[in-house]
Amino acid sequence: MAQSQPVEFLKSQKPSARVKSISQVNDRLFQIDWTDGLHSQFDTVELRRKCPCATCKDEWTHEQILKPENVPDSIRPVKIESVGQYALSVQFTDGHKTGIYPFSLLRKISLIN
Amino acid sequence: MNIIKNIGEKILGRTPTAINEEQIKQKLSKIMDPDLGQNIVDLGFLRNIKISGNDIYLEINLTTPACPVKESMKSQAEALLGEIPSVGQIQVQMTATTRGSTAPAQSQVAQSLGQVKNIIAVASGKGGVGKSTTAVNLAYALAARGSKVGLMDADVYGPSIPIMTKPDAPTQSNSNLINPPQARGVKVMSIGLFAGGEKATIVRGPMASGVIKQFLTQVNWGELDYLIIDYPPGTGDIQLTISQTAPITGAVVVTTPQDVALIDVRKAIAMFDTMKVPVIGVVETMSYFICDGCDKKHYIFKSGGGNKVAAEFGLNFLGEVPLESNVALNSDKGIPAVIADSASPAAQSYMTISGAVAAQVSIIHEAYKDALNHFVLEWKPMSQEIQ
Repeated sequence: MAQSQPVEFLKSQKPSARVKSISQVNDRLFQIDWTDGLHSQFDTVELRRKCPCATCKDEWTHEQILKPENVPDSIRPVKIESVGQYALSVQFTDGHKTGIYPFSLLRKISLIN
Repeated sequence: MNIIKNIGEKILGRTPTAINEEQIKQKLSKIMDPDLGQNIVDLGFLRNIKISGNDIYLEINLTTPACPVKESMKSQAEALLGEIPSVGQIQVQMTATTRGSTAPAQSQVAQSLGQVKNIIAVASGKGGVGKSTTAVNLAYALAARGSKVGLMDADVYGPSIPIMTKPDAPTQSNSNLINPPQARGVKVMSIGLFAGGEKATIVRGPMASGVIKQFLTQVNWGELDYLIIDYPPGTGDIQLTISQTAPITGAVVVTTPQDVALIDVRKAIAMFDTMKVPVIGVVETMSYFICDGCDKKHYIFKSGGGNKVAAEFGLNFLGEVPLESNVALNSDKGIPAVIADSASPAAQSYMTISGAVAAQVSIIHEAYKDALNHFVLEWKPMSQEIQ
């Protein structure tokens, strides 16, 4: 019959790193403290330049369509919001808000770890 | 003239014609916000109204600092206030609070799901594997164990939950949310409750996703221990929308034993992995058949498929559910197996599975107890020097 076996965390699945806290550092930077103890900081201007959405990045070739020089240094977020349990989205002052940044990507491109 | 009058009033103190807030509001209610199509008084834009003697100070708080009509609105306000008899100095200050950010999508999720402790997805790669039957019975098994449970039908194109549970009609709450009807103590929501059970829902992906988003933001789920979401089959729009909108605690993946079903269940598992939704485990349905003549388990399809796929991904195998004709018959009558015949092998299986699910959910909770379920960071202008 049912062979349920409540074991350690879902057998071999490791808990993925999630956001423990998120805060603005200064006019340009914000910090995420992850549940696994890692701390990362992000430059919001760079995040806009690396926007992974389908209009900024070619969905098939993964080439960045958005030219970094077209994003002015003056760009800032309006707000940063969680997307499910795996990503966050940023609404920028230029009105762009379609980029979804998975935590796995953020942990790769952060300024400091 | 005015000067003399003003001096006179200052000496005599308050005059019978003293300006009041009502007068101000009455005047300013003539100003419309062109975008929102309502007057600025009803929109609640007026702030900090101060009347001292006959002098007026007030703030008009717009929804965006970049409002194109800001200046014209200011001069309009000054002109209208100037019509008030015996008015003194007028000072109108324009301010702004961005509206969208005070009521973002996430806080809408909070109004709907804020008191829901756990959200469990019931999904499969393929249709027709008994996913809805599993979702319903998991819900009622958890309720039978004393939990407060909700059941959301995310299958917009083929809603089965209304038939399987027979709830009443939904009602509207006084806060513009939809009250989910109850069926035997479980709160139920499904597109089938609205469209009329017989009618087809013919909409494209974005509309379907919109409906599901409403179920997660505009349904008054209230206090629940578990909200079970019956996913549509596959890995498309709606599945993405749910995982992006609601904080899913974990997913139960349902499959039948054959290889052809297992191929698709792998895709469902991969989808949850991408969305970082922990997979609670695998449930195998239609595992075997017990006929009315003997107690022998007839393995109609291959045996052990669900266990195999669980082992392959290192997932928990939550249990196998036999094929029983009574399960289907009672389902059609709106009575879940765990209620209709709690001693039947299928009902027993679902009870065991529900216990395993509840245990796994607690483990997930412990593992993520430090994590933010959802967050919104409003950006504030800060000077670079302050660090």
